[in-house]
Amino acid sequence: MSTMKVYDSSVRQIPVISQVKSIYENRGLLRLLVVRDLTVRYKRSVIGVWWSLLNPLFTTAVLYYVFNTVFKSKLPGGAPFLPYLLSGVLLITLFNQGLTMGADAIATGAGVLTKVHVRPEIFAASASISSAINFLIGLIPLTIVLAIYHRTPTWHFPILLLVIFCMTLFTTGLSLLLAIAYINFDDSRSLINIFLMALQYMTPIFYPITLLGPHTRDVIQLNPLYSFLQIFRHEFGNVGVSTLANWEIMFGCSLVAFFGGFYIFSKRWPKVVAKL
Amino acid sequence: MAKSGGQAVTQELIVEATDISLAYRRTRHRVSSLKQTAIDTINRRMAYEEFFALKSVSFNIARGETVSIIGRNGAGKSTLLKVIARVLPPTTGRVIVRGHVAPMIELGAGFNPELTGAENIVLYGTLLGRTPKEMKSRIETIADWAGLTEHLDIPIRAYSSGMTARLAFATATDLTPDLLLIDEVLSVGDADFREKSAARTVEMMNSGCAVLLVSHDMDAVERMSTRAIYLENGIQKLSGEPKSVIEAYLSDVHH
Repeated sequence: MSTMKVYDSSVRQIPVISQVKSIYENRGLLRLLVVRDLTVRYKRSVIGVWWSLLNPLFTTAVLYYVFNTVFKSKLPGGAPFLPYLLSGVLLITLFNQGLTMGADAIATGAGVLTKVHVRPEIFAASASISSAINFLIGLIPLTIVLAIYHRTPTWHFPILLLVIFCMTLFTTGLSLLLAIAYINFDDSRSLINIFLMALQYMTPIFYPITLLGPHTRDVIQLNPLYSFLQIFRHEFGNVGVSTLANWEIMFGCSLVAFFGGFYIFSKRWPKVVAKL
Repeated sequence: MAKSGGQAVTQELIVEATDISLAYRRTRHRVSSLKQTAIDTINRRMAYEEFFALKSVSFNIARGETVSIIGRNGAGKSTLLKVIARVLPPTTGRVIVRGHVAPMIELGAGFNPELTGAENIVLYGTLLGRTPKEMKSRIETIADWAGLTEHLDIPIRAYSSGMTARLAFATATDLTPDLLLIDEVLSVGDADFREKSAARTVEMMNSGCAVLLVSHDMDAVERMSTRAIYLENGIQKLSGEPKSVIEAYLSDVHH
């Protein structure tokens, strides 16, 4: 009797802290959701784990053909194009997946989320985490591609975990904002897709940043994904260099997206639920 | 209806809702497109109005009681359920809910068609607030009750809608909660299952849990509840003995 859970609506909930605490308290559910995402993607498909790799590999193959064969792009210093390209595709996939899966899970989960007391933030976090696991699996083909060019991952590649951690914070925070937009505005999805496409082109996935004029380069360097990508390429395959500014932008943007996303979500979500 | 003035010493209160209101700002014409919102904002035509979905609603539910909420569509019934289910915090007022709450949601809303029956039992139960470990130990019992033991290892997209409903109901009602929230009495599945699920619902009601029922089915309300609350435009118009509250509501509807 004494251990009975009591809900008292008058107990003040501190934004962000209460949300993070709730995710931690429900880590059992979080784990289940991550396992669910991975199971649904892998176990049931005929080619299993390789399915998650097929998409980035295929995208890479197409882009490789277009830019290497058709346009004859060259990287400065004669760096190999294929690992450069594949690392770019893997990172942008990590971002896109974490962001859109999380937002979709919340936007389509209204049947549960408006009736059951379960924090939607858990769904956003699980999408980001399962995307991160997919990304880690994607490092296997990247290592193979590096080997083709007689390169090996750097000795300091575990620093990559920091990049993944920051990306998880970044996409979790942003996907909460995206979920609110999806639910509030019917036409937001198509607009956001265009925006994501623009962001993708503004990230040097298949072109070297040196190709651009100084002004364009300044703009691109403000794109947080550029910093994530520079650090990833540098830390993992020693392709390109990362600067202190890249690290600052990566940490800064992830923290702002995380805290901002959680805070705004805690204020907006009750209003969204009231109308659903 | 005068509130019972006596101290609740003998009754254990599961729900205490005191003077709860829920207000939100809504746009005067329902805009749901970004384009329209942008245009309206630029033209400064966004007209907001404060909307009260609930206004000063107070009630208690003691263990063993079944309280029904009746009222027209849009009267605030679902909002009230959301507030009690702690999905939505009240704007003002205070809600206290003691113990384990089990909402009966649209059956299968938390299911994933690609996962097996067993996996869905664990996921759904965890969504409803239990632990994965606890749920894993209950798989067999739940499947047995739902009559699905032989289908546990196949993805539920291969289930019929009746089978899915049985699995969802069995999982949701596996544990007798302290508070059961029902949005419309369930009428899914075949006659056998309907009977079985109705029996289980009654069993739970009799085993001392408190029930909050929202329904348009006046027969069910009169039959099942110990008290009824009539909501109109978010205001608690009448509450008390089910029969008289239903009569008042019906006479309003017919005018």
